[in-house]
Order: sequence, then structure tokens, then C-alpha cells
Amino acid sequence: MSSYQQLSTQERMLLKFEVEEFLFYEAELLDSRRFDEWLNLLADDIHYWMPIRRTTQAKEIELEFTKPGGMAFFDDDRNTLTMRVERLSVGRAWAEDPPSRTRRLITNLKIINVEGDKITVHNNFELYRTRLNSEEDTWIGRREDVLRRIEGGGFLLAQRHIFLEQTVILSQNMSSLF
Amino acid sequence: MVDSMIATDKTPIDIDSCFDMTTGNLDRRIFSDVDIYQRELKQIFGRAWNFMCHESQLSKPGSFLMNYIGEDEVIVVRDRKRQINVLLNTCPHRGNTVCRAELGTTKSFFCSYHGWNYDLDGRLIAIPGEDKFYRNKIDKTEWGLTTAAKVESYRGFVFATLDSDAPPLNEYLGWVGKLGIDFTQVDGDIEFLDGIHKNRVQCNWKIAVDNLYDWYHVNVSHGSAMKVGFLNEAAMAPMHQMVMLGEYGHGIGGPGITEAQQAEFDARLVTGNGERQWYDPSARHRTKAEVREQLGPVGTRSFGHPNIFPNLWVGLTRQICLRIPRGPLETELWWFSYQPKALSEEARKSSIFTQNHLLGPAGILEQDDGENWSHSTRGAIGTHSKSLPLNISMGLRQDRVMNDPSGQSRIETVVNEHGQRWTYKSWQEWMTAANWHDLIANHSTPPTGEV
Repeated sequence: MSSYQQLSTQERMLLKFEVEEFLFYEAELLDSRRFDEWLNLLADDIHYWMPIRRTTQAKEIELEFTKPGGMAFFDDDRNTLTMRVERLSVGRAWAEDPPSRTRRLITNLKIINVEGDKITVHNNFELYRTRLNSEEDTWIGRREDVLRRIEGGGFLLAQRHIFLEQTVILSQNMSSLF
Repeated sequence: MVDSMIATDKTPIDIDSCFDMTTGNLDRRIFSDVDIYQRELKQIFGRAWNFMCHESQLSKPGSFLMNYIGEDEVIVVRDRKRQINVLLNTCPHRGNTVCRAELGTTKSFFCSYHGWNYDLDGRLIAIPGEDKFYRNKIDKTEWGLTTAAKVESYRGFVFATLDSDAPPLNEYLGWVGKLGIDFTQVDGDIEFLDGIHKNRVQCNWKIAVDNLYDWYHVNVSHGSAMKVGFLNEAAMAPMHQMVMLGEYGHGIGGPGITEAQQAEFDARLVTGNGERQWYDPSARHRTKAEVREQLGPVGTRSFGHPNIFPNLWVGLTRQICLRIPRGPLETELWWFSYQPKALSEEARKSSIFTQNHLLGPAGILEQDDGENWSHSTRGAIGTHSKSLPLNISMGLRQDRVMNDPSGQSRIETVVNEHGQRWTYKSWQEWMTAANWHDLIANHSTPPTGEV
């Protein structure tokens, strides 16, 4: 299998363009509250994970994030992500009613690896949320995404690992999707 | 004629009239007033036994984690004698913090400003330039880190107080506080997991405490979590509530089962049909003789749900939540998670699944709490709004405290606000007591008879 570095410049540009189109479209769906359509972009075996981050001494920086399988802010599969989306439309989801206004900026795309139909892409994001009259939240971080190419063109999101810069979450909730 | 002098519109708030036990009326200003908040830091957090950590979180000498007593940062650290110390995180030289990490392991605490160095028990062990600059005229024994007045633990739960007049932890917790912690160990010894969910909510800390006794909000606040099937509706709206009130403001308020239900459950166990019932996986274990003995005849029928006054909630999902004040209008929520040591891999995973998905800032249940708590706090800010009383009257004078030969007095009833009323009444006593001697002598004993 050809890894990303072995591809020609033209092939890399084309791949990056396709990946970018997918991630920008995905962000657009979330920003425009088209959550059901967003769910259609998820692979059945998606792992959606956000560990807890801590302030540590420089010499113990390996403690900075909690480990997979342990405590996390998100450790979701398709089923729980579907629940998060369904929650928004059944009423009494007060964190999102009235709905938040969000805008996602996806940048610094870097394709790390291509292995068969699997593309590993790291990217940075800023998720800005404002609610009601004057509430504001900003979450900035890094995502380690894995996209899976599907027959007939396009991708599914097979992994999203989210690494926030905040340790103590400075928001009263994280009812947004990253 | 109105006096043209505007000196101040601040008339002192009379704590005694902030809450009326006979009507359940509560003065909203207790959730927003800066002077009240400052007095809470001094008289409640400064005097109380504050939860620090569980012993299992400090596995070896030098293990530490950061916590708070009110707004004062403290380091909780295990020393070389395996003793747990609680040190105020401020260097006596210029006030700088001597520890900046939330957790870790260290040999000593080294001040990054001028290099004063402290041992794990807070003793000052080295000062750069002690001979050349201080000419050996400084007594190091006088300039160590301030230690908590007392550090004690109950079943692995470590508490500290800054007040040397505080009664021993055992006495402070009383049977209600101790029972509240006993619930965590019905499945045997526990260990705390790595990773504390922390987030900030723009609410007064007491609004969060009030909410833990509140089984009235579940259907409304968490309606969406129920509708998508994340919560069992029947389990979360139990009609049978058990409330136990303890000295110094501790309380347990949550679901329980009646004596008849317990008898039926026991009978089913005998016939081998005693599988898990309700949502409490520990229910089965309560048939064990040693657990029953620990929880007592009444405690065995309760599912727990205590607040260890002032701010430690022992939840139902093998989690405890500390509500740390960050000013009158902000609270930091810390969710600690634990597991019984003897747990199958499958049970362990299922427990972590619940802990990661139910509560915390992204919790499918708890997301909606922050919204309601912050807006309730806002209701205590508006000039006119804050002059209006809040209604804490549910169940007032409708129930009776039932005694038990074991001493486990309790109220068995429907959804109610007994726990909240007890919290506000105790809060008044803490806020008006001159000192611990006064509080010990004059605090209310838990109610008997009609409540």
C-alpha cells in the first residue's frame, strides 16, 4: 500500500482537496444544525473520543491526557452519538433550547497516512458557540480523524479523537459536537 | 424628602431572616451577595472538614494532587512515612504557589520565585543564600508551608480542616455522613480512577447542592435523556423517597425501597430470582450480612444520595461530585469516579461507560443542569428579582420523622424538599456561629416528629 509520502505531489493535492471538502461539509452540517445528515457521515464502528487533559509538571507530561478506555469527556460510538442527536429533537434538551449558534473553523489539515481505504488526517479546530443574549464559549483543539473511503466516492468518519487545550472546561456544558 | 446623600444602598443582610423554616421562604440574595459569599469562605469552608481525595489517588510517597478549601489552593500529598498532608499552596516568602500541576509525583515543593524548598510535610528545608544573604538570621522552622489544622480519613475518604477547634472527623460526619460514605463500599473496597471531569458553571455553589436533594426536577430538567432511553423513567422518578438528616447540615435524600419491597426482594433472593432490581447494581449485595450491618436496617433500604456538608455529593453512579466555589456566581464541578477493586472486566467497562456518559459537562444527563442552575443564579441578581422570596415549601409539615431502634431516624415519603430546608437551616447556623465552640454547643439536632 502506498503511504501518503510516497504519492506524487499531484496525488497528494487531490487527496487533500477531497479530504478538505469532506471535513468542511461535515462542519457545515453541524453549524447549520443538520444533525441527522451529519450522522449519515459516520461509519458504523466510529470511535469518537475526547480524553480529560490535566496540567502536569514538564517531567511528567505523559500524564497530560487520560488513557483510552478510562475517564473521558466523550467516549462515544454510533449509538451514543445518535442519542446525543436524537436528544435535540425530542424536547426538554435545555442546553440546546433555544439552540446555540455555532461556527467551526477547521484548519492546518495534515494527512498523516493512507492505508488502503483508510486516511488518517490531523487538523486543528476552533468551535465558537454563542447562546441567548450574550453567552460565549470557545473550544480550540486538535483532532485526529480517520476517514474511510467508500465505494462510489466520498468518505465516512471512522475515528475522531479530540484533544482540547482546556483542562478545566470553562463552559457550563459541552452540548456541541466537535 | 429623600436624602440627597447616597452613601450606600447596602443594608446588612440578617442571616437569621434569610430562611424561614416555618414557611420555606428563602432570601435569594444568599446566592449572589458578595459579603455573604466572603463569610461562607471564612465560616463554612474555613471551618468545615473539606473533602480532599481518596487515599487510592495517592499511591506512593511524593504522590500529590491539587485541591481547594474554599478559594484557597491546597496540595494533598503523601509523605515518606505514608502520611497524607494538606499544605496551603503559598510560599511564606512572597506568596507564590509552590506547586502548579494538578497531580503528579515530587520529591519536594520548590518555589519557582526564589527557590525556597519544602519537604512533603511542608517543612522548609532549604533557602538559597541562607548564610550569605540572610546571614543565618532566619529560623527555617518558623517559615514552613501552612498545613491544614487536621487531616483525617474515613474509609479512605480524606478530609481536611483549617480550624483546629473542629471536632474529630468521625464526630463531624456523624451517622448520616458516615452512612453516606458507606454506600460507596457496598461492593467491597474501592479505588478511584485516573481522571476527574472538571468544569465551571455560572451558578452559586448552594444551587448545585440544593439540586442533589431535588428529585422533582428529574422529569423536566432531564426529560430529553429519558425520551431517548438513556435513563429509565421509572427508576428516575421513584415515588418512595427516604430522607435522613444529620448534624452540621449533612443529609441523605433519594430513593429507597419500603420494608415490604425489601422483604419481597429478600424472598426472591432465597428462590434464586434476585437479579438486579431498580438501577442500583449494588442492590444484590445488600443482602450480605456485613453490608447490612454496615448500612443498618434503614440504610439498607436507602440507595444513598448524600451531601456531606458543605459540598460533597456522593452520587449513584460510583461517582462523587465536589462543588468548589469560584465567587458567588460561579462553581467548579469536579466529578471523581471510583470502582470496587473486585470487579469483572465487563462490569468495569459498563461502569466506566455510565460514568463517562451520564454526568460531567458532556454528560447526556448533566448537560442540561448547568443551564438551569446558572439561570436560577441570575434570578438572584436583578434588583427587583432578588427582593422576592424563593419557595422551598414542598412537603413542609406533611411528614413525620420515623425512629428506629438502631438510631437511624428517617422520613419516608414522596418527592419533597426536606433535604434542602435542612441545608439552608444548617447554613444559617454555620453563618451565625462565632466559632466551632459556638457551633458545637448551639447547632440544631436533626428534627423529630412532624417536619
